Amino acid sequence: MAQQTSLHIGVILSLALRNLKRNARRTALTFSALFIGGALLIFALWFGDGTHEQWIDAGVRTGSGHVTIEKPGFRVSQKIADRLVESTHPPVMAALATPEIADQVQTVFSRFNVSGLASSAAAARPALIVGVDPTVESALTQIDDQVIDGRYLEPDDRLAAYVGVGLADGLDLRLGSRLVLTAQDTSDDITGQLVRVVGVFETGIPAVDQAMIYVTHGLVGEWLGSGRDVTSISVMVEDSYGVPRLVRQLRQLLAEPIASGSATVTGWTEAMPELYAAVLVDEWGSYVIFVVLFVIIGFGIVNTVLMSVLHRHREFGVIQALGLTPRQTGAIVFIEGILLTGAGAIVGVAVGGLLTWLFMRNGVDMTVLMGDTDYEFAGVVLDPIMIPLFRPARVVQAIVSILMIGVMASIYPAVRAATVDIAESMKFDR
Amino acid sequence: MTELDSYAVRTESVSKTFQQEAEEIHAVRDVSLTITPGEFTALAGPSGSGKTTLLNLIGGLTRPTAGEIWVAGHELSELSNADLAQLRLKQVGFIFQAYNLLPVLTALENAEFPMLLQGTAADERSSRVRELFARTGMTGLEDRKPGKLSGGQQQRVAVIRAVASRPALVLADEPTANLDSASSEALLELMEEFNRTLGVTFVFATHDARVMERSRRLVKMVDGAIASDEIQ
Repeated sequence: MAQQTSLHIGVILSLALRNLKRNARRTALTFSALFIGGALLIFALWFGDGTHEQWIDAGVRTGSGHVTIEKPGFRVSQKIADRLVESTHPPVMAALATPEIADQVQTVFSRFNVSGLASSAAAARPALIVGVDPTVESALTQIDDQVIDGRYLEPDDRLAAYVGVGLADGLDLRLGSRLVLTAQDTSDDITGQLVRVVGVFETGIPAVDQAMIYVTHGLVGEWLGSGRDVTSISVMVEDSYGVPRLVRQLRQLLAEPIASGSATVTGWTEAMPELYAAVLVDEWGSYVIFVVLFVIIGFGIVNTVLMSVLHRHREFGVIQALGLTPRQTGAIVFIEGILLTGAGAIVGVAVGGLLTWLFMRNGVDMTVLMGDTDYEFAGVVLDPIMIPLFRPARVVQAIVSILMIGVMASIYPAVRAATVDIAESMKFDR
Repeated sequence: MTELDSYAVRTESVSKTFQQEAEEIHAVRDVSLTITPGEFTALAGPSGSGKTTLLNLIGGLTRPTAGEIWVAGHELSELSNADLAQLRLKQVGFIFQAYNLLPVLTALENAEFPMLLQGTAADERSSRVRELFARTGMTGLEDRKPGKLSGGQQQRVAVIRAVASRPALVLADEPTANLDSASSEALLELMEEFNRTLGVTFVFATHDARVMERSRRLVKMVDGAIASDEIQ
């Protein structure tokens, strides 16, 4: 017998729509659950993205940038021998100046990190001495705003040191106090440098406040004999999502220095694994909550659609008696579920988008929960004002997630409708 | 005319057994029956005699435990569920005791439904159904949902639905059971007219004396088997 090839899509769609309309209250309740779920999902995703981006931004500004170019091995050894010598700078700067890279780059900055000893008349402490360009650094980080005594570095400073509050206390330093920095120089000799405290800062991160000293690039170059060498050239971009692509592009452009072992390109996820792990843990924690939320919503959809199917047992028998195939009958129920979840997802995402937009400008002030104390997480001091971040991909992700829930929740009721015993269904007299 | 074309329905030693808990119920026993095109036949008998089950077997709504059934040249056991649906769509109309109109559709849409599934053009559907509405005094009720129609009106819509798509065979299960005398008479006249003018074969399952009187062939069933088969 010839198979009917038409799927009667129009008829199926029309019946599905009318059945949704017929049970208006039930439809409205399920739709409400879906759209509230959708709105919460997109709001939470964008809010989470914004929060994570703030963490990443704060972390990479004080750390190694979104992307950092170093000599291989420096990250582990932290030795002066593993520095980027001046001759490697031109190809790096040329790569960063290419149009496809330059479009993505916000800021380029370099640092000279060296581990050493800070000694005062009172005591001696291990210290991480960071040579910076004060102008670039103040634009890049908030370190200049975190001054609690004195001032931040100035480009013309020669023997100035900007010291963490914990270290200053440990060495009994005050403004104008002198201290000696001792570290290995480029000739592998231990060499000292007298500096004077021009300012004391407090980041709220104990590890930073108790160990870090900022000085100018010029001072480091003269003291250690490293001239214009640096230990890292780092790049800031607008959005951390673009980092993997930028890393790939830079690795291609710097293939020669990378092959010769004079440079390596590292994204922030590799350079700051603790921060990356913190973001992932938080993100997956959120996903677990979403899954629980949507399993509950999914059961709600199953309940609604299945109730509707059980009430229409006889109808499904009738339409099959009139010529609809079992598969087409199941399709009516399946499409009802998809229409309901699809509409809920779209409206929910739109409402969630509106809600997010309301917080886009001023964010949400979490000081109510966090209090006035600084909250440190993975070596980053968190800003209590959390601002959501609009990422279009999340719209697709949210709608597809909800639709998947709808698909899964509609399969069983659709199978029930498709496998109805036609003759038996006619026996019920409702 | 081939042998297959010479009958609308043929059953050969058809039986249907249901399992009800530990008990085996023989709803239809060894029924052999041939119904030729254009017949107006009633399957009569008391409740539980197997007439509705036989009607369901002929309509492919359920499958026999034994025996063979041919409808419009097709042996039903050879057809898949989807093929059976296609056969019903193209060859068989149904009238049910409880009308069974789809509550989300209007009277007109209900009557058009099988033609809609057949892919009949909208103009053609509308013209056929409106003509039948006019012939049955239903004009003006086209846009009403089933809940806003009386039992008699609903059953008229069900009859129009069964015949409008011009099937070869209409199977009617207790079509007058829920109707008053006047409505029953009117409905029977309507079906007779369709049988006469459109040549549609009607097979009824009934225990209504009026239907039995009007049918031209009366097949009486007792305990699932044919007890008598008379031309009236």
